[in-house]
Amino acid sequence: MGQLHPLTSNSALESTIDKILTNTEKNIVSNIKSALDDSQQNLDDAIPKLDSEYDKIISDAKKEADKIEKQITGSSDIEARNKQLLALEEAVDRVFSTALDQIANADRSGDYSNLIKTLIEEAIQILGTSEISISTNTKDKDIVQSALSQFSGAELSSETINCLGGIKVKSKDGAMTFDNTIDARIERLKPLIRKEIAAKFGVGN
Amino acid sequence: MTTEGGVQYSKIAEIKGPLVVVDDVENAAFDELVEIETTEGERRLGKVLEVGNGKAIVQVFEGTTGLSISGTKAKFVGKVMEMPVSKEVLGRVFDGLGKPKDGLPDPIADKFVDINGEPMNPEQREYPKDFIQTGVSVIDGLMTLVRGQKLPIFSGSGMSHNLLAAQIARQASVVGTSDDFAVVFAAIGVQYSEAEYFRRSLEESGALKRSVLFLNTADDPAIERIITPRVALTVAEYLAFDLGMHVLVVITDMTNYAEALREISAAREEVPGRKGYPGYLYTDLSTLYERAGKLNGRKGSVTQVPILSMPSDDITHPIPDLTGYITEGQIVVGRDLFRQGVYPPINILMSLSRLMKDGIGEGSTRADHSEVSNQVYDAYSRAQEVRALAGIVGKAGLTEIDLKYLEVGDTFEKEFLTQATDENRTIEETLTLMWKIVSKLPKNEITKIKDKYVEQYYKEE
Repeated sequence: MGQLHPLTSNSALESTIDKILTNTEKNIVSNIKSALDDSQQNLDDAIPKLDSEYDKIISDAKKEADKIEKQITGSSDIEARNKQLLALEEAVDRVFSTALDQIANADRSGDYSNLIKTLIEEAIQILGTSEISISTNTKDKDIVQSALSQFSGAELSSETINCLGGIKVKSKDGAMTFDNTIDARIERLKPLIRKEIAAKFGVGN
Repeated sequence: MTTEGGVQYSKIAEIKGPLVVVDDVENAAFDELVEIETTEGERRLGKVLEVGNGKAIVQVFEGTTGLSISGTKAKFVGKVMEMPVSKEVLGRVFDGLGKPKDGLPDPIADKFVDINGEPMNPEQREYPKDFIQTGVSVIDGLMTLVRGQKLPIFSGSGMSHNLLAAQIARQASVVGTSDDFAVVFAAIGVQYSEAEYFRRSLEESGALKRSVLFLNTADDPAIERIITPRVALTVAEYLAFDLGMHVLVVITDMTNYAEALREISAAREEVPGRKGYPGYLYTDLSTLYERAGKLNGRKGSVTQVPILSMPSDDITHPIPDLTGYITEGQIVVGRDLFRQGVYPPINILMSLSRLMKDGIGEGSTRADHSEVSNQVYDAYSRAQEVRALAGIVGKAGLTEIDLKYLEVGDTFEKEFLTQATDENRTIEETLTLMWKIVSKLPKNEITKIKDKYVEQYYKEE
């Protein structure tokens, strides 16, 4: 068997190598292309997911921000309002105590005896009996005593009571009592008076 | 308010349970407010239950403990019990009788309103049809609450109804309108820790600003519980019909209210009805529940969510039974779901909102709401049947479609029903979740939804 010419054998080898290289290249290119396609596909698939995830994160964050905003504004509004209420109440109390001082030191002459008469009439009407015992404070004792002449069956109790003015009436059998002192009347009307005072401060109405 | 009245009587004939019988009384009126003065000078409030033959029977709200026949005085105030109301009540915390409990002064009253309210003229009632979003999917999606509706929650002892009540109070809102919204929360006979939870929960979420709280704790006198829902509803009516707000009233627990009613009835020696409750329990409950509604020509509305715990989980007990006759549906909290750790453990198959159909759909929630809700109900019902079947034949014996329904049941409970206590879902989120459940089924199983909605929202996984 004769020896092959070196050039011929080299060319066959090269051709084989070329073929292998070409095939390998083709394979690699095809693999790269397919990987690129896959990546592209993955990327395309991921975009809507990412969008929806993004939207969810934004919406959750927005919700959380709203919640925190509500918490902060809510509690600060309440705090401010409460401080305003306390300040208002303090002012109302001051007005009340000034007014009570003035009532306590008010002049007992003039119309005051008419007021006492009206208070006694009212008490008799509400208790439904004129057989009554009347208590009052030391300041009003004389005025009440002089008014009693017009109410038969009514008598002045020897005990005095501590009040701004007015009378406390008890039926003689002791079963019924009607407090018609100025203190009691103010107490009954206190919520309405508070409202009037608050209105002067520009609150309510 | 007048200067009339104010006669104090000192002849106490008898003290019986929460009642005081006063002798030689003239001119007392039914329901008149009475101030009881103890020998120590302590003052308690009460009201006249009966008058006649010179006697007046007075129900003492703060109880009669410590009162004695000699030395106790009863002052008839000359007016019925009134609640001072104004916009300033928003953000305030009161006790069961409407006295401030937050260390602040009495609110400056715009007016004083009789706590028994004025009956609504039936002719003037407007049919409720506007949606209220609670942020709780199972309620918004399947048993929608409507403005002016009364929709009770039937629960059992120890279950999470108070968590749910607080969540609704925090999250509820009206959508699609700029009208003001407020929550009036009345806790009747709750534990101190629960009362604190309600207060803190509203305070920390910032919802207290638009809420009014009435807290009657378990250690407060039982009789006070008769008053608590009435003062709460009086405030709600003022906010709704005088100030034009949409008001949601959450009352928990109505069972404690009925117990207090039974206590008074027993003390008055009335002929008992079912389980010792008075024969007029139905009428009495209706005087509370019927205070919900909307009025023609008025902007606001009062919506009620009363919560009651059913003794022994018995839905036929007189309280849930009679409540069910008056209200417009019910939300039932289920023991099984609660034991599984599901929150909120609402048993949808036993629950229903009768006015839902008018408050949902296009313009309110979404056009497909009604149909998708029907389909979810149907699917969950079928899932329950399949679960029962699987308990007998095992999963291996189930068909492929049965297995799908099992999956639907699980998804429903895990993803739709289960919700965190601070999770506020919009109606859109709720509907999306409902479609997610429906989409677990093959298209041919979807029989209650129009094709156009299926095309639009069905997403096969």
